[in-house]
Amino acid sequence: MVDPIFDYQFRLILIGDSTVGKSSLLKYFTDGKFAELSDPTVGVDFFARIIEVQDGTRIKLQLWDTAGQERFRSITKSYYRNSVGALLVYDVCNRSSFEHIPLWMMEAKRHIEPHRPVFALVGCKVDLVGTDVKNGARREVSCEEARMFAEENGLHHVETSAKTGLNVEQAFILVAQEVYNRIQTGEYKVEDGWDGIKSGFNRPNGMDFNLLEAETVQSTCC
Amino acid sequence: MSKQSDSEDFESADEGQTLQTKKEKKEIKKLAASTKNVEQTDGWDDFDIEETEAVEISKSNKKDETEKPTSQDTGWEAFDDWGENDNNKVEEVKPNTKSTKDVHKSQEQADIQAVTERLAAATTKNEGWGWGGWGVDSLLSTATAGISTLTSQVSQGISTVLETGIGAPDPEELARATKEKAVNQETNVEEQPTAQDTTFQFGSLLSGVTKFVETTGTKVISGGLDTLEVIGKKTMEVLQDGDPGLVKKRAMLGLDTEKPILSQILREAKERADEEDKMREAKREAKEVHYETLFDDFEGLVHLEALEMLSRQVSMRIEERLRSADADKRQDIKETMQQVAELCEMPEDDDDDDDDEEHGDSSKEDVFHERLQRATRDIGLKLQFQPLIKQYTDILQWLDATEVVNEKAIYKRAVSGLAQATALCVELYHKTAEMLLVKNRRSTADEADALTQLTVVLSKHVSEMATLFTEKLSKQPSEDKELINNYITNVFLEAGNSSKYVENAFQLTLPIIQIGAV
Repeated sequence: MVDPIFDYQFRLILIGDSTVGKSSLLKYFTDGKFAELSDPTVGVDFFARIIEVQDGTRIKLQLWDTAGQERFRSITKSYYRNSVGALLVYDVCNRSSFEHIPLWMMEAKRHIEPHRPVFALVGCKVDLVGTDVKNGARREVSCEEARMFAEENGLHHVETSAKTGLNVEQAFILVAQEVYNRIQTGEYKVEDGWDGIKSGFNRPNGMDFNLLEAETVQSTCC
Repeated sequence: MSKQSDSEDFESADEGQTLQTKKEKKEIKKLAASTKNVEQTDGWDDFDIEETEAVEISKSNKKDETEKPTSQDTGWEAFDDWGENDNNKVEEVKPNTKSTKDVHKSQEQADIQAVTERLAAATTKNEGWGWGGWGVDSLLSTATAGISTLTSQVSQGISTVLETGIGAPDPEELARATKEKAVNQETNVEEQPTAQDTTFQFGSLLSGVTKFVETTGTKVISGGLDTLEVIGKKTMEVLQDGDPGLVKKRAMLGLDTEKPILSQILREAKERADEEDKMREAKREAKEVHYETLFDDFEGLVHLEALEMLSRQVSMRIEERLRSADADKRQDIKETMQQVAELCEMPEDDDDDDDDEEHGDSSKEDVFHERLQRATRDIGLKLQFQPLIKQYTDILQWLDATEVVNEKAIYKRAVSGLAQATALCVELYHKTAEMLLVKNRRSTADEADALTQLTVVLSKHVSEMATLFTEKLSKQPSEDKELINNYITNVFLEAGNSSKYVENAFQLTLPIIQIGAV
């Protein structure tokens, strides 16, 4: 475990079609490893890592890795609400995953309301481009059109590889920095009843929902 | 800025008071010493008694005095003798006073050491403080408290003095003592152009001298007291000038330190930084064995939260169905819900030992795996028990392999092991709930039974794990039995905590089971 002290916790959610590489991206980001094979995500999985933004403030990123599979769609919807940032993930070698991005974005906006999250458009698997012609892996989404879409919608854009690690870190730091900037300008605040941003200092108090009871039991038993 | 001007005011006021001579300071000291003594030493009681009559006499003589204004000069000389006397007495009691003072000081010293140091630092640079020893004394007796004590002592002293007549010496004694002198002085007296009555005769000289002594004594005493009172009042005025309760002065003493000496600022900054480092370290240390924090680090908290989101959403859907259903149907739904809830009630601990007999040969982790599978046989889902099994295996190995280890390490491992196991349990409920929600054919009764059984198995699991750790702890050869016992108690408390989380997760899963039936 790394130094567990942090100043803020941001909750980021990763959304996008099945098999675009959300879990691999997160595994690389949190573990530094690339998993060749992984089971499809059930519902939602969690990852966490502490990073520092430009002024040295320590941010714990709590990352919600949602299942891309259609059958989990109704479940994953209920997980959006408390996110302060959303990574819209597509596969640069999968055209339809990019074409679904506007739908994912609308979905996220709708469920995160009234909060306005920071969005980033993240292309995955750039390592496959041009290297694996036999298996038919070729770029189906150009960097330019992705960037254009990003600019039109006010998103950050980055292309990554969870195999080589290219831009993986950058993708998350980009979002974290933007969230942090919005805290600095006062656009975002730590709010009761919303877990998108939490303060790191009062973490034990940050537990709502039924946990207080368990805690009380613990403290009174002594 | 305003702070600064405050302190400047204060300083200039002080400078004014510096004009008060050292003599006066001494007097204050004496008075403080003597008034303290009134309460503390017997000597003074005797002295008081000794003087009591004198005051009466001197009072009764007052008329004569006003009729016969006497020569101050002769009186003064006589008084000087008495004054020396008095001084001696004061000096006699001084050692006592000092020692009590010292005790007094040392008590307060600790409290106000910081202030003392700052003040000392400030005064070394700033002689204008002028109040010197006294200032330090009383100010250090910490501002108001000290000062009010002092003043109350002073005023008490004054009243005591006035009542008992500290000033008037025993007339007979004095008369005897001054007789010779008076005779000697006779010539002087006559020679000197004094304000003495021309009808002054040798015969009445004696009584005259006595009167002089008495009068001047009284006058000087009351004059001295007046002076002291004035000084005291002045002191309080200066100190409290525009600052009732000395609030600002105290603030100033605290704040003043920040400007004068750079090295001190740096030293304090360093101390603060060290303190922060220590706190950070302590915080980190505390977090290592803080169950809730660890539970969070193992993603237990967020799984529980996600499970709660699902649970809430599903409950809302059930509510919706209830609202939209007609009365009969609504009753049906309610009954079904009730039945499911009853199915999910935790059984009494009656089948505790059957497992243990069956699995005599198997390893603990295999027994655990077996139980999990048996419990969830009919749930109709492929659940992932691997993380739980693996964590259990790791712990069992750690406990076996680790022979020489201190009790703190065991305790840490116990808390973190329990937190992790609990987090994995919660994750299991969360995953199960998610899979149930996307399951094609629901079989509510089986699901309810399976999850109830699962809860039994998992609760047992955490308590067994706690037992393993407490056994290890109690086998620990340590002299600090109390520490060991504390650890054991805490491990069991955290195990209870774990069970709570497990049951909580199960309760959150209930609506997800229920919705399959309605």
